[in-house]
Amino acid sequence: MVEVPLAVNSDFLLLQLVNGLTLGSVYALIALGYSMVYGILKLLNFAHGDVYMMGAFMGYGVLVAFGGPAAPTIPIVLLLTLMFLAAMLGSGLLGVTIERFAYRRLRNAPRIAPLITALGVSFFLQSTALLLFGPRFRSYATFEFLSGGVQVAGIRVAYTRILVIVSAFLLMLALTFLVNRTKLGKAMRAVSYDREAAAMMGIDVDRVIVATFFIGSILAGAAGVMFGLVFFSVFHLMGFTAGLKGFTAAVVGGIGHIPGAMLGGLLIGLAEAFSAGYVSSTFQDLIVFSILVAVMLFRPTGLLGKADIRKV
Amino acid sequence: MSEPQKPREEQGPGAPRVGVDEWVATHEQRRQRAGGVWARLGEAWHRLPPWAQLAVVVVPAAFFPFTTESDYLIRVGINALLFALLALGLNIVVGYAGLLDLGYVAFWGFGAYAYAMLSSAKFDLHLPTVVSLPIVIAASALLGLLLGLPSRRLLGDYLAIVTLFFAQIFITFTTNGNRLNLPWRDTPVDLTGGPNGIPGVDAFDLFGWEATTTTSYFYISLVTFALVLSGLHFLNRSRTGRAWRALREDPLAAEAMTIPVNRLKLLAFMFGAATAGLTGSIFAAVQIGVFPQNFELPLLITLYAMVILGGAGSLPGVVIGAVTITVLLEILRSPDDARLILYAVILLGLVGWLRPWRSLAAVVAGTVVFGFAVHALASAVWPRGVERTAIGGEGALGWAIEHWVLLPTQPGTLANVGFVALVAAILALTQMPRTWRLVALVPTLYLAAFVWENKLVFQPSVTRLLLLGALLVALMNLRPQGLLGTARVEIV
Amino acid sequence: MEARRPLLELRGVSLAFGGLTVLNGLDLHVDEGEIVSVIGPNGAGKTTLFNVVTGIYRPDEGDILLDGESIVGLEPHRIAQKGVARTFQTLRLFLNMSVKENVMAAAYGGTKATVFESILRLPRARREEREVEALAEEKLSFFGQRLVGYRWDQPAYSLSYANRRRLEIARAMATQPRILLLDEPAAGMNPAETHEITELIGKLREDGGYTILVIEHDMHVVEGISDRVVALDHGEKIAEGSFDAVATDPRVVEAYLGRREATTK
Repeated sequence: MVEVPLAVNSDFLLLQLVNGLTLGSVYALIALGYSMVYGILKLLNFAHGDVYMMGAFMGYGVLVAFGGPAAPTIPIVLLLTLMFLAAMLGSGLLGVTIERFAYRRLRNAPRIAPLITALGVSFFLQSTALLLFGPRFRSYATFEFLSGGVQVAGIRVAYTRILVIVSAFLLMLALTFLVNRTKLGKAMRAVSYDREAAAMMGIDVDRVIVATFFIGSILAGAAGVMFGLVFFSVFHLMGFTAGLKGFTAAVVGGIGHIPGAMLGGLLIGLAEAFSAGYVSSTFQDLIVFSILVAVMLFRPTGLLGKADIRKV
Repeated sequence: MSEPQKPREEQGPGAPRVGVDEWVATHEQRRQRAGGVWARLGEAWHRLPPWAQLAVVVVPAAFFPFTTESDYLIRVGINALLFALLALGLNIVVGYAGLLDLGYVAFWGFGAYAYAMLSSAKFDLHLPTVVSLPIVIAASALLGLLLGLPSRRLLGDYLAIVTLFFAQIFITFTTNGNRLNLPWRDTPVDLTGGPNGIPGVDAFDLFGWEATTTTSYFYISLVTFALVLSGLHFLNRSRTGRAWRALREDPLAAEAMTIPVNRLKLLAFMFGAATAGLTGSIFAAVQIGVFPQNFELPLLITLYAMVILGGAGSLPGVVIGAVTITVLLEILRSPDDARLILYAVILLGLVGWLRPWRSLAAVVAGTVVFGFAVHALASAVWPRGVERTAIGGEGALGWAIEHWVLLPTQPGTLANVGFVALVAAILALTQMPRTWRLVALVPTLYLAAFVWENKLVFQPSVTRLLLLGALLVALMNLRPQGLLGTARVEIV
Repeated sequence: MEARRPLLELRGVSLAFGGLTVLNGLDLHVDEGEIVSVIGPNGAGKTTLFNVVTGIYRPDEGDILLDGESIVGLEPHRIAQKGVARTFQTLRLFLNMSVKENVMAAAYGGTKATVFESILRLPRARREEREVEALAEEKLSFFGQRLVGYRWDQPAYSLSYANRRRLEIARAMATQPRILLLDEPAAGMNPAETHEITELIGKLREDGGYTILVIEHDMHVVEGISDRVVALDHGEKIAEGSFDAVATDPRVVEAYLGRREATTK
């Protein structure tokens, strides 16, 4: 670590802020998937982090298929769009498949059954990735134009970061619209309040759950590509830590609560960036963990969540 | 659940009155009749007194070291016992209290590291085992308590994530614990030895008797196992055991029936942690050292598979699950044996599932013919596809594989495609109507052999994780009570 | 002699979920040895009343006294240990445990053996174990031929519906309560079984010496057992007194059947 008193160095502070925002956007997108699925099924989908990992690999696959980062064979904007589309669609389908084959039969099983299944799915996906892609770190590397950046108050902010922050924001906006303004969103909210009652009101619960998994996984896929673009390293275990952080973000914000997940993601991203910058990058996980424990101790419903009423 | 049987038609004057369910009286007999030989064996087992049950397990195991000269086999035996101990501890948390502890491996690691620190040259403490062991066990339990406390209010779900996070941090901590910067020290402190771990852990020293041979550790493990098993047996039948099972069934009703649910959950969690700590100490001494990579997360899924396979909540089930999986994983290390096991398991699976015999014969014959046909076709039009020799392909099986499965040179991409196709095919099979399923089974089986011979056989460690993951998903979906457990009734 | 104070007393208990008032300034008392029935239409707050008394919900306002001592804010298992036992309207047995174990589990609060005593089978653990077993058999025998003998080792899920209701009562009795809260004990039973339950509740008081607060919809049962009837509607007490008085009270009739004239509420 650098020895100068960093606290007074505003450029460094700004750098960590941008770092934190970028990381936070990625975590927020992951947290949303966790939170939505939890809201509807009360299921901690441990495999969600691995769906994100698979998304990152899918984006990488498209990148390689079109000539790789050094010599893309199609225009970069098109390539980027394709990468995002492929990763989002692929992850979405993966999420739906997981729901269909691993979780659906267990909806009325005791709580621990789907959790153990989720653990199994998570390890299955990890080892599948290891089997298919090997243990190597894959690098998205940078595109010519993306390696550039803009000067903001003394520091250079890479285009990739701007791209990530802006597109994450747009995705979250779209999700908020979907949940608050569309029929599907209304159905999702209804199912999350009371699945049985929603079913009796004529809502196709299966369809709503599938849609939830699909949307959550789409966001995870996008997050995977974003992480690859900014941090370059894609490998089979990336989903595990990211999943943990994403989940922590969801808990911090209030699990099952969509704006909460966004807020939580940003907070965790910032906390991690600042602790890496000012304390130690080795123990940044420890700091995030401490936040998780603190929130559980003092505000178990999360920052924006409300207490549930237990039905007896 | 037992088969949905209707009560017989009432006959005679002694016919049951309203509200009296006579057929319940014959519940066990009916269940037994339905189960055949296995059920009768189970019945005989249940009639044995507890000490006899323990003897049935422990006495044959005690003779194991006399049957072999091989140090390796005895080590496998120790592994099986240690895994059985770990699984028993995990079973308290998962099977009794119904909590998901994903940091269990870290408690094991904590126990191992704690023992290594107390009884080795690391800090020159060299405490005798009789002193360090109780400290380790108590410390593990305390750590369990500390970790369980924050998730008190929402114990079930949040505990899973807190413990998983803890496991992750434990690895980071042990790997980087050789250069800790403490505010009150100028130089970094070495606590865990970092990636190099702590070598040279003392042998078990029990009142002056030092365990030096592999065999002595086998007996130490066996005795510990027997003690823990009987302790748990008694605990299971005590007020605490009943309360654990009650709160797993219905926490709210348990609470209303004077059972302090949260406290008992924490207690179960601490017991699991203590058992893991104890096992970790033995492990550290057996291995004469501890290293961060011993406690990585893949072990977690191995342990869960053990607990689930035999049937969570049942002591014999957990032990059988642990031993079975240890042995299977050991066999998976050698490609030749692994192959034998794979084909045997597939065949056994088919024999078990497929009825009538006609369909079974048709599928097996179909698969054989299909393979030879594909192989013949490939030799005619795609010579590269049949060029390679099978890994470890000696004997009749090796010959058969080489003339039946496509073994292309450089199978890389093709094998990857095959793998994805295999997963898709298996998922699709579960959705097909029966006739089609039989037909589709043939190419799927062949594809499985293809993927095995061209991909999985090269990467045994990944394959075992893959199979364990798939096993967990399949078990939870098809037989959540495990192979030995009786199905639980959830909503009636 | 001091004035007899009620065994259970609720003073101005209110509870709201969000904006929805479920209990509104409820006063209620049950004297030692009394059988009090709570009636009221669906959603009147009857089960919530039980949940508040047993500590599952904490009231927003008011006090709940058990033998003069406040039990508000105690954890449910503490309240149960102090002598409030209940059954559940929706039946919450430990389905995969045996019939006897269901009852034995409820004796947890009455026993003291520590985990270590249990593991090592020390004398106290063994003695308590025998006592608990005897207690369970005694409580199960309370139901005559219904829950005896071979049924003890059957899993609870194998019981018929009526027997499950009986088992819930036996389980509640094993907590050694001073007051039993029975939530619709006759729900889903046929006429013969309902009649039997009516007799059973009387027997619980006569032979068992329990004070009983019961929620019941079946007016024949209510008429047959009650010393006193309390009618609730919208979380408020609308009538109290003998069965005949309450059953003919215009407000009760109105609560059940609606007003004659069109309501604007």
